[in-house]
Amino acid sequence: MDHDAVREQMELAAVEPDGLERLMAGDTPTAQAVAGHLAGCPSCTEELGRLQRSAVLVRDTVQAMPSPDLKARTLAAIRAEGVVRPLPVAVAGAAAAVGGPAVAPTPEPNAAPVPEPIPLDRRRRLMPVLGWVATIAAAIVLSVVAASYLVGSRVDDQLAAQSVAIKGLQEITTATLTVTAQPDAEHVALAGVSDPELYGGLTYSPSTSELVVVASGLTPPAAGLEYRCWVEVDGKREKVGKMFFNQDLAFWVGPSPAISGLSNGATFGVSLVDAAGSSVDTAPVLLGEL
Amino acid sequence: MNGRGEPTDDAAVVRRMVAGSEAALELIYDRYSSAIFAAAYRLTADRGTAEEVVQETFLALWNRAESFDAAVGSLAAWLHAIARNRAIDRLRAAGRRPPLVALSSAAGSDEDHTQALERLVSGGAVIAGAEPPVSPEAAFDAVGRHEIIRGALAEMPEVERTVILLAYQDELSQSEIAERLGWPLGTVKTRTRRALLRLREALGTEFGPEAGLDVMPVPAGEDR
Repeated sequence: MDHDAVREQMELAAVEPDGLERLMAGDTPTAQAVAGHLAGCPSCTEELGRLQRSAVLVRDTVQAMPSPDLKARTLAAIRAEGVVRPLPVAVAGAAAAVGGPAVAPTPEPNAAPVPEPIPLDRRRRLMPVLGWVATIAAAIVLSVVAASYLVGSRVDDQLAAQSVAIKGLQEITTATLTVTAQPDAEHVALAGVSDPELYGGLTYSPSTSELVVVASGLTPPAAGLEYRCWVEVDGKREKVGKMFFNQDLAFWVGPSPAISGLSNGATFGVSLVDAAGSSVDTAPVLLGEL
Repeated sequence: MNGRGEPTDDAAVVRRMVAGSEAALELIYDRYSSAIFAAAYRLTADRGTAEEVVQETFLALWNRAESFDAAVGSLAAWLHAIARNRAIDRLRAAGRRPPLVALSSAAGSDEDHTQALERLVSGGAVIAGAEPPVSPEAAFDAVGRHEIIRGALAEMPEVERTVILLAYQDELSQSEIAERLGWPLGTVKTRTRRALLRLREALGTEFGPEAGLDVMPVPAGEDR
C-alpha cells in the first residue's frame, strides 16, 4: 500500500464513528496493510497524528453546532404552540405589571425595515379554510366518479348538478386564495348558536372589503325565507349578503362595504330572514366574534 | 443598525417580536441559537436533548417576551438562563447530574488538589473528580479553532458540508451517507476527503505548521 492509499484510508476512517481506532486495531486486511505501511513510514505516522488532532477538533465543533433544520423545526413548534401575537392588551399589561417593560403593539417609528411576515397564529388559522374547501371538493369529485356508473338520463342530470357544484367550489376556492393573499387577511371561526352540528368560517380582508363565508350544517330554507349574513358593530347590524347553497355547503363570496375597515370587537352572524324583506334583525343561527 | 438593515439593539428586536414579527424572532434565533445549542450540548452531552432545549428556549422567548427587561440584563444572558434551566430540568428528569465542577476550582489558595480532595471528602461534599480547567490561552485557542472550523464549513460547497455534518452530527458511515443521499459511495468518499482537506487547510493557515493540524506532505521518492 503506497502513501496515497494509506492516507485515503486514514482520512476516510477519521470521519467514521471510531474509524481511526478501528483502523489502528488492524483486524481487517486493509487495516493490516495500513499498519504495515505506518510501521516503516515516519511521514505517514506523523500525518496520522495530525489527522487525529484535526478530526477531534472538527468533531467537537460540528457536534456542538445545531442541525441545519433546527431553525425550521423550532419556528414550526412556535407556530403550533406559541401564544397569539400581539397579545391582548390585558395580558401585555399584566406582563408589564410584574416587572416587564411597557411594550408597543406596533413597530417603533424608527424601527429597521425588517420585512413583516404574516403573523404566526393567523397564518396557522387560515390553513383549515382551504383544507375544508379541498375536502368538500374531493367529496364532490368522488361523487362525480360514482355518478358515472349510473345509466341513461340520470347520468346527465347528475353530471350537470355536479358541474354546478364544482363551479361553485371553484368560485369559493379562488376567492379564498385571493383574500388570504392579502396582508391583512383574517379568519374567524363561526359556531352554531343552538346547533352544535352547525359551523363555518369567515375569511376577510378589511382593506379590500373582500370576504368568503362558508357554513356547513345549515338546513336549506323553506320557500319565502333565506339566510343572510351580516356584521354588527356597536349594536347596529349591516347586511352583507344572501347565503347560497352548493350541496351541503352554504356560502357567500364577494366584496361588501360592511367589511371595509372592520376592526376587532365586531360580530359576524347569519340569520334566517324573510326573503321579501331587507331586515337582518332576526335571531342568529351562526355567530363569530371578530 | 447593521449593514443588512437589521436592528443591532436586542431590545428593539424583542419589541418588534412582541408586536408579532416573525422576522424579529428569526433574527434573534440567528444571533443566539448556535451559542445556546452549544451550551446545552455541553451540559447534556446529547444532541437531541440540546435541540429540545433550543426549541423550548425560543418558545419561552416568544411566549414571555414581555417580561424581558434590557435594564436588568442582556438578551443573551436571559436566553442562556432559560436554556440552562431547561437543560437541568431534563437532566434531573433523566436522573442525571450536570458535569462536575473541576477540583482545582474548589481548592483553596493554600492547598493542593490532594488536600482539597481530602477536605471535600471529609465533608461529604464531593461525589467525583473532574479534569482541571484548561488555561485561558488554551481556551482562547479552542474558541478560535471552533470559529475557524465553523467559518470553513460555511464557505465550503454545500455537498461537502453535507457529508461532514452527516458524518459528525448524525454519526453516519460513508455507506450510510451514500444510502441516505442516494449518491455513489465513491462520490461520498471524494467529497468527504475534500471537505476534510479544506478544514485542515483552514486550521493550518490560521495556526501555522507548529500546531500540527495541517496536512503532512506526501514524501517524495519511492512508495512503500
